[in-house]
Amino acid sequence: MAPEVLLSPLHRADGSATYTQNGYSIIGAVNGPIEVLRKDELPSEATLEVHVRPAVGVGSPKERHLETLLTSTLRSIILTHHLPRTLIQLTLQVRSIPAEDAICGVSAYLTLLPHLINTSLLSLLSSSIPLRTTVTAALVVSPTSSPTMPLVMPTAQEILRAGRIKHAHVFAFDGERKMVVCESEGSFTFEEWEEAWEVAEDVCCRDGGVGLGEAMQVDGQSENLEGWLREVVRRKVEGEQRWKSGT
Amino acid sequence: MPREAEISVNERAFIQEALQEKIRLDGRAFDAFRPLTLTFGDEYGVADVQLGKTRVIARISVEVTAPLPERKFDGIFQIVTEFSPMASPAFEVGRPTDAEVILSRILEKAIRRSNALDTESLCIIAGLKCFALRADVHIIDHDGGLIDASCIAVMAALQHFRRPDVVVEGEKATILSAREREPIPLSILHQPLCVTFSYFEEGEIFLVDADLAEEQVRQAELIITMNQHGELCQIAKYGGATVDPLAIVSCTTVALQKVKELTKFIQSRLEEDAKRRNVGGFMAELSAENAR
Repeated sequence: MAPEVLLSPLHRADGSATYTQNGYSIIGAVNGPIEVLRKDELPSEATLEVHVRPAVGVGSPKERHLETLLTSTLRSIILTHHLPRTLIQLTLQVRSIPAEDAICGVSAYLTLLPHLINTSLLSLLSSSIPLRTTVTAALVVSPTSSPTMPLVMPTAQEILRAGRIKHAHVFAFDGERKMVVCESEGSFTFEEWEEAWEVAEDVCCRDGGVGLGEAMQVDGQSENLEGWLREVVRRKVEGEQRWKSGT
Repeated sequence: MPREAEISVNERAFIQEALQEKIRLDGRAFDAFRPLTLTFGDEYGVADVQLGKTRVIARISVEVTAPLPERKFDGIFQIVTEFSPMASPAFEVGRPTDAEVILSRILEKAIRRSNALDTESLCIIAGLKCFALRADVHIIDHDGGLIDASCIAVMAALQHFRRPDVVVEGEKATILSAREREPIPLSILHQPLCVTFSYFEEGEIFLVDADLAEEQVRQAELIITMNQHGELCQIAKYGGATVDPLAIVSCTTVALQKVKELTKFIQSRLEEDAKRRNVGGFMAELSAENAR
């Protein structure tokens, strides 16, 4: 279930990541901090530019909408005040999307959004841009047939098999279990939304009570996304410290 | 947007001096390509080409549309190249650089106008319906040699792609999904590939497959497109320096040898991929293709 990640596969960009999960494959690249155009320059913080490029064709309003969502989310994550009058440029190239995505009944922007959020965070980590916290995102889908058992991070095929979809949500949480993104579609009551939130929180965030060292051991192959993220970062740091630990 | 960092005077002199001593910075021979890897995705028609540090992904997609009114019996084939800041921060979205314009023009000349793809085979009902084929070229990483890498990627993706089969009954055409009928490969008439020669020292030195640093130092470039039968599809020369006509002839012989090697490489990778997909050995039975 944990996504496959390759950090810094590109040699030209300052930071990059390839991310693959459930047939969604995305390449993210970060350039920054770099020179900013005069008209975009902000005197007290960095400008963030996000480009989402679809696998097929040129960008459409769907991609523009995703860019807006990502920009506002990442602005709250990146410590933009530490890099005034610079530009941080994030490009997300969608490499492949499962064939069932278009017909699964959940809008394409919702199914893609959590993967884009996760990829952008990984790219930012790889580029060593100062961040306030981490962010992890997940999709929760509630089919009409079994409203009590929402599907968490389902594959497109699972959504298709579940039949009619009542409501779907994308939640993203930061390192302190605070919700930073909530995008929903369909009709639902507040209780149903709250339930979906709890399910997503479980899958995104580390259990509150367990200490850092213990959580690592208990999780092993990381049940939740934050554990997975920590594992990725641990491997990255290990790789970077090889010169030191080898001797 | 920052401009592409220009190569420093020292680096320029260093590369030029090394070339005079018949040495390239990465130790290759003058007529050697960088290590080439070609991988195909799980879907049909996705080719990921890595040429040294340059990386290009080509993706073929198809949809059904009405053919152009002046070309009723032809399908539509389009190659789309758009650079993104991913490859280099100097590439801006929505404002094509010279390199981008040249790349799309060369690919257009080399692949589309040399009739590498038989567009007539994409016609479903004359004047009413045809397949519109689209090749998206994504430049992921840029270290020179974009034209060669993109051409390899597009040709490999075209050969790898399978389009859905159709059944035509009078005015009614039914597209059969991959589950109903095995998709069929495109009819490719020949396989043009580009070889870029960069030249230095007033045409004294020709380099095959220059990397980004060498591209910035070169005086001019010569792009030759050929297929493995030695048929020349196009020659383009960019840059100010003059070039000797006889040198072009010798370049074409080198290009032919390179194109033959590349074609063989693509073919072997395609066969490996076909073997990987053909697990039960049912591919031959499933195929609805007629012998040409």
